[in-house]
Amino acid sequence: MIFSTLEHILTHISFSVVSVVITIHFLTLLANEVVGLYDSSEKGTIATFVCITGLLITRWIYSGHFPLSDLYESLIFLSWSFSVIHMASSFKKHKNDLSAITAPSAIFTQGFATSGLLTKMHQSATLVPALQSRWLMMHVSMMVLGYAALLCGSLLSVALLVITFRKVIKIFGKKTNLLNESFSCDKIQYMNESSNVFLKTYSLSSHDYYRHQLTQQLDRWSYWIIRLGFIFLTIGILSGAVWANESWGSYWSWDPKETWAFITWTIFAIYLHTRTNKNFEGVNSAIVASTGFLIIWICYFGVNLLGIGLHSYGSFTLTSN
Amino acid sequence: MATLLNPTKTQTLFVSLPKTHFLDSSYSSSSSLYSTFSLQIKSPFRRKTVSFNLTCKLKTSKGPKNNGKDISKKIILSDSGPPEIRNEEIQGEVSKSGGGVLVVVKRLPRRALAVLSNLSLAIGEMFTIAGLMAVGTIIDQGETPEFYFQKYPEDSPVLGFFTWKWVLTLGLDHMYSSPIFLGMLVLLAASLMACTYTTQIPIVKVAKRWNFIQSTDAIRKQEFSDTLPKASVRDLGILLMGAGYEVFLKGPSLYAFKGLAGRFAPIGVHLAMLLIMAGGTLSAAGSFRGSVTVPQGLNFVTGDVLGPSGFLSIPTEAFNTEVHVNRFYMDYYDSGEVSQFHTDLSLLDLQGKEVMRKTISVNDPLRYGGITMYQTDWSFSALQILKDDEGPFNLAMAPLKLNGDKKLFGTFLPVGDTNSPNVKGISMLARDLQSIVIYDQEGKFAGVRRPNSKLPIEIDGTKIEIVDAIGSTGLELKTDPGVPIVYAGFGALMLTTCVSYLSHAQVWALQNGTEVIVGGKINRGKDDFLEEMNQLLDQVPEIVESSLSRQPDSASG
Repeated sequence: MIFSTLEHILTHISFSVVSVVITIHFLTLLANEVVGLYDSSEKGTIATFVCITGLLITRWIYSGHFPLSDLYESLIFLSWSFSVIHMASSFKKHKNDLSAITAPSAIFTQGFATSGLLTKMHQSATLVPALQSRWLMMHVSMMVLGYAALLCGSLLSVALLVITFRKVIKIFGKKTNLLNESFSCDKIQYMNESSNVFLKTYSLSSHDYYRHQLTQQLDRWSYWIIRLGFIFLTIGILSGAVWANESWGSYWSWDPKETWAFITWTIFAIYLHTRTNKNFEGVNSAIVASTGFLIIWICYFGVNLLGIGLHSYGSFTLTSN
Repeated sequence: MATLLNPTKTQTLFVSLPKTHFLDSSYSSSSSLYSTFSLQIKSPFRRKTVSFNLTCKLKTSKGPKNNGKDISKKIILSDSGPPEIRNEEIQGEVSKSGGGVLVVVKRLPRRALAVLSNLSLAIGEMFTIAGLMAVGTIIDQGETPEFYFQKYPEDSPVLGFFTWKWVLTLGLDHMYSSPIFLGMLVLLAASLMACTYTTQIPIVKVAKRWNFIQSTDAIRKQEFSDTLPKASVRDLGILLMGAGYEVFLKGPSLYAFKGLAGRFAPIGVHLAMLLIMAGGTLSAAGSFRGSVTVPQGLNFVTGDVLGPSGFLSIPTEAFNTEVHVNRFYMDYYDSGEVSQFHTDLSLLDLQGKEVMRKTISVNDPLRYGGITMYQTDWSFSALQILKDDEGPFNLAMAPLKLNGDKKLFGTFLPVGDTNSPNVKGISMLARDLQSIVIYDQEGKFAGVRRPNSKLPIEIDGTKIEIVDAIGSTGLELKTDPGVPIVYAGFGALMLTTCVSYLSHAQVWALQNGTEVIVGGKINRGKDDFLEEMNQLLDQVPEIVESSLSRQPDSASG
């Protein structure tokens, strides 16, 4: 009982802290950069990280198994991964553009996980026989980390596409939010915030120059994070195959989830190949990565929604009432 | 590493040497210098004579300053010392030299190789494979033709054109073994091989040959270049070492690299993919598979269960092994849910001698002589009861069809006159081996009993005691000769994917009087490299000749 109360508290703290962080991001966007505010948003992210870590550990202790056995837990783990990526990237470079992707992503997954949609799954269930393996931790954590990193990378590519697209149809002015409706707010926020950063850093009146710089930055960050995510995904899929050979009788059985994970892997392999050729770099590779965004969601969520195949542990029905 | 920067070998800093002197010095350098170099080169990177062809091409196509004599000298030197290449441009050589690397490849039509190694084609193949796999998950696999007639009828085609004819003609009902899909995989494998031979190996051959650049113009042509007006190439070398570079210094020239493994790794990734594909093919062609449901206490012979999957499936000695199910039981959580299934198996050879005994469970299979036995399923075989203290009788349990995947088994015990046309009796239902729900002759709930509880239940004057619940274990058997190969491929793929993260960075520098010209390039992650180089160059100390002191040059990018 004490554990579930603690879990409840931690969930709410982390959710509200992320909300505050996002608000701060918006404030800095409106009132240009305020150093103090930026610092507090950094602290907020760390607080979120601590909360979600606490949440996962609590769940681990009272359920007695690694907290990655159903969709709710994997969503929490996903938002944890986002905060890890956020912190890792801020170690790499003090102030960076990635935080504008990771923080809203964390709030969305956190919000979705704790929303009423999945209330049924909040109760930690007992572990079915097939999941009782030491491979669970390795396979699922690697997969979710991989998804998180690849999602970040493909979102950056989407942002790159949006900027290039704007260039093509000649919509200027960073406050022209014509495209607001068609794109989710994190991307818009990201663009605006980055615009601020670059305006301040280079203080150049030329739109084209800073846009060029921005697309280069986006390209670089998405390449960095996708390469990282690709490693996680590879390890995740292969450890899953080894596990399947221990428990299902075959290392590959063309189960829908498996197949979609392989499709995701193929798409990002294509992305990495497009990067080796100068002709494909930039927009073309960004299109591939953006396709990857869609495919990850089909793989992570769509297959669970259908609840087909051997990976039915995470399945759920939307009509929870 | 510090021994490299042998002070006796360093040229005096402020002496500007004529160009011709550099050319000569590479051949007249003392042996002690070369021995230092050979210590520095790690053995996998040491040049072998294989690349003879390549070197020739490099020379003849590029170096107008070289004559034939020079080439032969260089090739001899290449095993012990650094070859001299003034102009190094990888991309140009790659396409020319690719065919000459392996004799086998030479016999193949060059045109086919060039087409196959085309990046656009490979990307197209990957997209097609991804698309086919996606289609495979959308269309239900392995159903009867009637199913497809119904689902994709001709009079109302999906998307206006898609009917069952498409499904059955293209083999989309068994996508992952259909000729289209397998053909695409074969094509991809061919592309992988072609790309590795014609593009990747030549790139590595050029890249791994560490070399000095002697002309300032060539250095300035690199992706990154800068000039330090008052600096020493030695100081730069020390800084580069600190940054994790392998540094080679000869006279006024410096060559440094790091992350060379990042160049090799993509080849490894491709080879690992091929290995996995080969293993997968062997698995498909040479394995046996089968599943069996055996009640506790009974036997079966492995060879009877296993059926071959392909033309390479050859039975082994182990197929004569007889398996005896000693016991099948389940573990339960406090909530009553099943936590684990266990089967205690004994393997008996032809003489009936026990050769192995193991209790298997889900995630813990038994392996013997190439055969793997998995715990995959279970069933309720029989219920052992005492009726009015007579017996025990074994009642066979029948699986009842239910919606959902929960299992339900039932049996029926006739009571009274068994010869009358409408027999009445007691029904017993069970979801697992733990508790039996008993209904009386009218179908009303009578009670729940556990096996072995020794607690009889009285129904309409009949006393029934449930003695035991006998389960049967569902086993899956297989032999798969492809697994070791596939696992080797998995290991290699994991390792090489991780190593691919490294970027191969190369730095050249040349002391030209008091100034040092620095150039560098990297195969991926260019911006980070530029940043690193700029930071590094900022730290290079300025040589103070007189009291006149200038600010160290910051990078101009």
